[in-house]
Amino acid sequence: MKKDLNYLIKENLYLLIPFIFYAIYKNGYLIYKKNLIGIFGVFKPLFLVLISLFIKIIVDLIKYKKIKFDYNFIYVLLVSLIMPYNINYLIYVIVFFIIYFLLTYIPNLKVNKVCLIYLILVLINSLIENFSYMNPLELNYSYNFSFLDYLFGRNIGGISSTSIFLSLASFIYLINNYYYKKDVPFFINATYLILSFVYFLFTNNNSFLLNSELIFASVFIASLPYFSPYKRIHQIIYSVLIGIISFAISILFNKIISIYLAILIVSIFNLFVNRHKITK
Amino acid sequence: MSELISIKNDEHIIISNKINNFYDPEKIYIPITCLEKNVKLNEYIYKNTYFNNYISSISGKIIGVEKKLFDKKISECIVVENDYKENIKNKNKSEKIKDKKDLINLLNNYKLVDIKNKIESFENISNLVISSIDEEFYSVKEYITLVNDYREILEITDLLIKIFNVSGALLVTKNTDFNSIKKVKSIIGTYPNIKVTLAPDKYLIGHKSFLCKYLNVQDTNTLLLSTSDIIKIFNILNGKDINSKILTISGNAIKKSLIISTKIGVSLNEILKKYIKIQESDYEIYINGFMQGYKISKDTDLIINDKIDYIVINKVQNKEILECINCGACNKICPQDINVKNCYTNKLNHKKCIGCGLCNYICPVNINLKEIVKSDKN
Repeated sequence: MKKDLNYLIKENLYLLIPFIFYAIYKNGYLIYKKNLIGIFGVFKPLFLVLISLFIKIIVDLIKYKKIKFDYNFIYVLLVSLIMPYNINYLIYVIVFFIIYFLLTYIPNLKVNKVCLIYLILVLINSLIENFSYMNPLELNYSYNFSFLDYLFGRNIGGISSTSIFLSLASFIYLINNYYYKKDVPFFINATYLILSFVYFLFTNNNSFLLNSELIFASVFIASLPYFSPYKRIHQIIYSVLIGIISFAISILFNKIISIYLAILIVSIFNLFVNRHKITK
Repeated sequence: MSELISIKNDEHIIISNKINNFYDPEKIYIPITCLEKNVKLNEYIYKNTYFNNYISSISGKIIGVEKKLFDKKISECIVVENDYKENIKNKNKSEKIKDKKDLINLLNNYKLVDIKNKIESFENISNLVISSIDEEFYSVKEYITLVNDYREILEITDLLIKIFNVSGALLVTKNTDFNSIKKVKSIIGTYPNIKVTLAPDKYLIGHKSFLCKYLNVQDTNTLLLSTSDIIKIFNILNGKDINSKILTISGNAIKKSLIISTKIGVSLNEILKKYIKIQESDYEIYINGFMQGYKISKDTDLIINDKIDYIVINKVQNKEILECINCGACNKICPQDINVKNCYTNKLNHKKCIGCGLCNYICPVNINLKEIVKSDKN
């Protein structure tokens, strides 16, 4: 039951490894097979991960003169997993490095760092290049995926975050972890599902029912300990708010980006919700 | 109230059932603060002489004054050298009691203030619970007392049922304490008013509020006495000495754990020198347990008094204390539902804290939360 910080970080890192392998298959091997990318393109998900870790190590060495094994390893890894396939390497390296370096000067910032870095990167990338989450295969072919395909991640989304099956498996594993805020993913998904089902009843549009990004982000990003409330009641409020806001953004703007924007907005709001009341 | 948890035992710590008797210490120490009148060097002290609530457990001459740790404070103590004669001025005699008032008076005479206060705090006792569960894990004082003196415990419990005019009593033991269950079950038929109840092996189940909750009885009208309390009552009723106590010494820095019946007032160093081989050069000593107790320096010599039940000698763990990660595990585990994280952030203590140490145990970044949350008043 008792676990130390090192164990918690390692546990999270190990849980994220299958996502990288799946990404190499989905966003690498399958595209390579259709001759749409070269051999190096197969390993783009892995390169993004390695670049993120490298940036974290470099910043640590500049700032602290040593490599710190802390939760930032998880943050940078998560950023690399949720990037759109079309992210430009150069933008990724430069912008990520600058934002990450600047954030080390605000160590007590309670706003979700993962979402903040991600959204800035996506914004800059979409200003310079076209904003699209589709990989070359999805751009060139049109598919009619089944429910099982969606479950295993054959949908459009982040480079390594589309597998609902892996996200759910990780969640089931994490439920047994005493330190994991399991109410957060549960209430986010429950709220979102209820709203999308009601929407489906009124509009007959079922495209919002399955959102792989929402499941991945709720399991790994919204429940990050440092950026989420510690009291159960606050966790429920936080999660329901994320569910509502992400559903609203899904309808009004974009389904993939909605959850990250919602987490960022609520984590800003969380600065006020999670304030420590001086009471005995 | 959060659910109680089981804490995984350290496999290096094995507790045996054998009790070592240490009744011939070279010296005992009596804190000067306990003395009611002036004493002189070479003055003779009889065994069983009371100094306030403190008892001299041997007879001998005063040979000087030394500074020792007593009740968390360094105090000046008079040193009594044992003459090994066990001279007693007024020999204890058997006592007879008829009602609660008699018992309270008797406890008062023998300065057993803790038990007296427990009984006195109730006007009407509805439930009588005798517990052989130690609050701190690895401590086996209550369990060993039941294993060794189960006949006496049942006899006194039966007497207390009559004195307090209750319908019966519950004798609670852990469901993993097979020895005590076996022994008690062998003669429980003789005492129809006493029922044996098994409690799960969970940390803090021995604490009154949690035990009452488990037994489904109200703690406001339940008198909870431990098996060692019952034995003290037995001893005063039968004219026996009450100047010794059972002490558990364990930890991962020593080869073999020790259960020792020792005289009150003995110094810890004398016990360690005689019985314990410490394997590590770098070790730390916790008094009354790793979870609920407090740490002392290994150079400090402690006097064993009635409040000390358990000593842990552990290897020094160089745990790095890191910044709080906001995981909320301390809040989740707190059996008193205290907002521990809030107390930590605002450096507040909380009057509800029972000092169980679960917040310290669960914290992944090793913050000493108990030190902050536990109020000095507790």
